Amino acid sequence: MRIGMVIDLEKCLGCRTCAVACKQHNAQPPGNWWNRVFTPGSKYHLIKPELGSQYFLPVSCQHCDNAACEKVCPVGATFYSKDKAVLVDYDRCIGCRYCMSACPYGVRQFNWEDPKETHKKIEWIEGGNNYGYQEEHKYDDRLVYSPIREKGIVEKCTFCVQYMDAGEKPACVRACTGEARVIGDLDDPNSEVSRMINNKGAYTLIPEKGTKPKVFYLPPKRKDN
Amino acid sequence: MKNYKLILNIVIALMLIGVISYIIQLTTGLVVTDMNNSYSWGLYIAGFAFFVGNAAGGMVLSASIYMFGLKALKPFAKIGALAAFANVIGAMLCVVIDIGQPFRLLNMLIYPNFSSPLIWDVIILSSYAVLSLLYFYVLRFPEIAPEKRILFKDVENAEEFSEKTAKTLAPIALLFAIGIHVVTAWIFATQGAREWWHSAVLAPDFVAVAVSAGTTLVFLFSIMVYGIKEEHKSAYKIMTRFISIAFFVHLFFMYNDFFIHAWYGNEHALHTLAVTLGDYWFVHLLEVVLPLMGILCLMKSKILTKAKVYRASFFILIGVLAHRFLIMPAAFNNLPLTISPMGQQNGNWEYPLASGRFMEGAELFITNHNYVPTFIEWSILIGVISTMTFVVVKWHKLAINK
Ligand code: SF4
Ligand code: SF4
Repeated sequence: MRIGMVIDLEKCLGCRTCAVACKQHNAQPPGNWWNRVFTPGSKYHLIKPELGSQYFLPVSCQHCDNAACEKVCPVGATFYSKDKAVLVDYDRCIGCRYCMSACPYGVRQFNWEDPKETHKKIEWIEGGNNYGYQEEHKYDDRLVYSPIREKGIVEKCTFCVQYMDAGEKPACVRACTGEARVIGDLDDPNSEVSRMINNKGAYTLIPEKGTKPKVFYLPPKRKDN
Repeated sequence: MKNYKLILNIVIALMLIGVISYIIQLTTGLVVTDMNNSYSWGLYIAGFAFFVGNAAGGMVLSASIYMFGLKALKPFAKIGALAAFANVIGAMLCVVIDIGQPFRLLNMLIYPNFSSPLIWDVIILSSYAVLSLLYFYVLRFPEIAPEKRILFKDVENAEEFSEKTAKTLAPIALLFAIGIHVVTAWIFATQGAREWWHSAVLAPDFVAVAVSAGTTLVFLFSIMVYGIKEEHKSAYKIMTRFISIAFFVHLFFMYNDFFIHAWYGNEHALHTLAVTLGDYWFVHLLEVVLPLMGILCLMKSKILTKAKVYRASFFILIGVLAHRFLIMPAAFNNLPLTISPMGQQNGNWEYPLASGRFMEGAELFITNHNYVPTFIEWSILIGVISTMTFVVVKWHKLAINK
């Protein structure tokens, strides 16, 4: 099994619900966003660019098959799960940030300070209004999610490993208002994702970087007017 | 060295300031730097490249003595080996100060990932450190009283042994001296994500800069410990030649790369040049003009004085530090995720990323960061430079030929 995602840009409303759901479910500290949605070509989101048409492009970790981040990680803190999702071991990461520089997609986020300190800047009280999935999660006995990260380590999208392991879909997929996101097995030719990719002309972002992303995009439809 | 005590005290004071700054960084995190998610390496990694570069000189000189028969350099062999060792220590410290979880450093030994160029670099750098220490010991061997020797205790003819072993070590040392630059360059050059680094010329260029900067440092240290001496004149000449030729080779490599990119006109590549030659034009000026001034000063002066050598080495080394600083801006201020939005003709739009540095009122999603190292960053780096100097100053007596 190779886990992958298809995002249908025709269906994406640019509402950023996925970004917020991701941020909240994965307890990302202020300043870090695993998932972003912007309007290509425009300085302002949801404003039509001066030239060209308006569409929205969500970007999070592309869970590459040839992941630059995994190859450069000196301690193997970044690793492939059995489904070939790319995960980070919070207990092993030494915070060298090599992966951040090697990743072409700008999706890796660093804890520049203790998240508890950052939380204080938004008037968060410990034990008070906690947000996000509250349990630590281990994959193969490696810490791949914890509600409060230590300072000095890297984090990023895990395809919501804590939910997937429990048989549920990632937060962004469940939250998407346009039902633009589909997750599934890329190795199975009959899975929904495979069929979408094969039949609807899906593409990947900056394929020339050679990282072989497992997140695919369906282009928005042509509008004749 | 005349002002030995004074220099040592200054160096120790600077080290202490560095240590205090580092403790602040350790307790509060890397927020005390000016780096962020998009500009994720800064002064520390520039310092790392700088120290690795400086480490070459000693071994290159030593190798020249035994492999190419440049006997005039012989008095500087020991100081060269010592400088090499001190700089590798500096380079390793730079890795320590840069990482977010220094207490997990041992993970590199417990769980090494052998596909990572950083692991290769750690291996080759530590071997180089051991090798330069060994080399230093072998060169000093005849001077050490037989009962005080730690290694090779039962050697009888110390002079001959030292000479012979140094000869055997020289080519190995040269191989490693080149190796540390090549592998350090690979840390950057293997990153297909970054147009600025992903070039085959980066590794040769690192070697060229290293020969230039490393020799300068040995020159500087030799003048510090020996002063200017008539009998060393031909050695000065050779070192000046090394420094200048290597620097010109570096200029050739650098502008050759610029030219090819500029000619083809790929937007990404042009952008990297625009960052280096545009936004950071002043630093670029420094990296080129300062070393040229230093080299000119060394080549032109008929009578070399201490002051002149100090000035020249200062110019060259500051220029090289500027060069190392410029490794980052064009790489990080040129986001790889740049796309041509659908419906536009050849557009170039950089996809913003979260800075990771939450500050009220500040822009969070950015495509560009005007990186200016903070006081803490500078003081920690200066602390590392002082540590390196400390090693040399402290042991310089051992490196003097009687
Ligand atoms: S998108 Fe970046 S972080 Fe994610 S797998 Fe690819 S290289 Fe790694
Ligand atoms: S920051 Fe952590 S995950 Fe990234 S390369 Fe370094 S050790 Fe690996």
